[in-house]
Amino acid sequence: MNVISRRRLPLAAAGALGSCGGAKQEQPAAFAGRSVVSVLKASSYDADLTRTILLGLAQAGLPDVRGKRVLLKPNLVEFDRATAINTHPRVVLAAYEALRFLGASVSIGEGPGHRRDTFGLTEEAGYWQQFRALDDYFVDLNRDDVRSVGPFLGRPEFYFSETLLAADLIVSLPKMKTHHWAGATLSMKNFFGAVPGAVYGWPKNLLHYHGIANSIVALNRRFRNTFAIVDGIVGMEGNGPIQGQPRPMGALVFGRDLIAVDATCCRLMGIEPSRVEYLQLAADLGAIPELQIDQRGENPAALRKNFDLLPQFAGLRLG
Amino acid sequence: MNRKMAGIYRSERVEVLRAHQNADGGWGYFAGKRSWLEPTVYGLLALHEEMDTAHWQRGWNLVRSWQLPDGSWRPNQQVTEPHWSTALAVTLHCARRQYDAPFRRGVEWLLEQRGEESTTMSRFLGLFMENHIGHDRKFAGWPWLPGTTSWIEPTSHALVALKRAAPHVNLTGLRRRVALAEAMILQRRCADGGWNYGSRAALGIALPSYPETTALALLGLQSCADADLGQDLIRARELWQRCESRLGRAWLAVSLRSFLVEIPADERPIAKNDILATSLEALAAPNGGFLFLRPEARA
Repeated sequence: MNVISRRRLPLAAAGALGSCGGAKQEQPAAFAGRSVVSVLKASSYDADLTRTILLGLAQAGLPDVRGKRVLLKPNLVEFDRATAINTHPRVVLAAYEALRFLGASVSIGEGPGHRRDTFGLTEEAGYWQQFRALDDYFVDLNRDDVRSVGPFLGRPEFYFSETLLAADLIVSLPKMKTHHWAGATLSMKNFFGAVPGAVYGWPKNLLHYHGIANSIVALNRRFRNTFAIVDGIVGMEGNGPIQGQPRPMGALVFGRDLIAVDATCCRLMGIEPSRVEYLQLAADLGAIPELQIDQRGENPAALRKNFDLLPQFAGLRLG
Repeated sequence: MNRKMAGIYRSERVEVLRAHQNADGGWGYFAGKRSWLEPTVYGLLALHEEMDTAHWQRGWNLVRSWQLPDGSWRPNQQVTEPHWSTALAVTLHCARRQYDAPFRRGVEWLLEQRGEESTTMSRFLGLFMENHIGHDRKFAGWPWLPGTTSWIEPTSHALVALKRAAPHVNLTGLRRRVALAEAMILQRRCADGGWNYGSRAALGIALPSYPETTALALLGLQSCADADLGQDLIRARELWQRCESRLGRAWLAVSLRSFLVEIPADERPIAKNDILATSLEALAAPNGGFLFLRPEARA
């Protein structure tokens, strides 16, 4: 059945119509295993984040990355000095240093959803102040060379960046934010940036047609060689992912199971993860219930701060 | 920018383009990467004075080889699907004055495309649904990808191409499509006077205009008799003055110069790795090829 969601509709149609909200999928059988998620305090971007990230990687069970190609995938959307939209460059730098210390060959890649000039955005967002010769190891995933992976998202051929496809491990480095269509945008939705704009446009309207939740889950089924480090030092609440307000949370969240990481981030933000549509659809991929998550570091309940939610998401509030 | 400075500015960029042309004749988005249609078209336009040379011809042959049987163009050798950059290939044909069958099939393909929201079926279904964003569905623009909705940038590229092509094809409906797309762009003008990438507001909150989409919208609206673009050009100049993005600034310079708006010299150093930005900067120079993006009557 083709379900037209009121939330999804305007985006799918950029204004108009909605025969295109994406088919709603059956909820899959729940994941039966256990996953480890680490939550560590980080009071500011001036703290020794490399040390914190090394601890988080160890606690959350980062696989051996010696000699491996690791792609860091931050979330770069838009720059506005007044708020906190993008993954902070100091978190990305610390992750870069930590993974290099562990012996990985590290590159950074992003394909922003609606801004064409990715390098311009890295400049505005302060990345060039943190990294020397950033263009030596930063890849614009929107305009990289591409390769077909065969059928995907209902298309007979689908194309992804070759750098992304060649990575042994993709580390999703999102900002902890609410999202005006998806409820929350965390390590799983960050994979929208993996879809090359040079093929599919800005924004990546195809993903809206397929349904935002469906697309998030499809991308995360496609890319399983992943790890997450969520920048929750200062998150965003309200009308995210761009027009919301900064919300200091003072935490970094780590894990190999991105579903469990996002579920934990939701709890930190005062959101009930089992009510978030994309997590429901991904329930077979990873752990959502607290009882299935081995929590390391801080207790999320103790750090919880209820992020402001738009009225249409009031029902997501964690009890 | 004085004439000598302008010459140096442009020649530096042209040199970079010559140095980074791929063996197949095209350019990648970045130096050393595989060829794509978009940077190849702008690279060739930037080197427009060299159309008779072998290296220009190699690029041209590559573009011609990427046309698909339905008249559209693929974006590179790897992707085998019709692509929004078909409009750029049509514009390149106009610059080369090559008004042959492939050109005509490209124009015809463009005219067959429209944003999904403005198809007959969608407009009918729209009668029964709330129009959250308030776009008028009869104003048909162009999508990035066939079967999806229309956006400012692909619509602007298509308008530039069709306005250049119009004197050389006699196709029913071309002028009406141009008028509808112009109306679509005008309807989506942001409150601050420029253009965002698709809408003027989201969830009732006004969206800001962006440099690149404002520049492209203005290019698409060239010669639009129904539009008073005076305030938009002021907005575009403001954006140009404070724009940090090299690509956005280059697009704005192309657009402002097409409207004969004076802007001072851009003294920022060349970005050797970003081929698209380099091409657009060369096109935007006072003696560059931005005239190829103007409707022919004004060129």
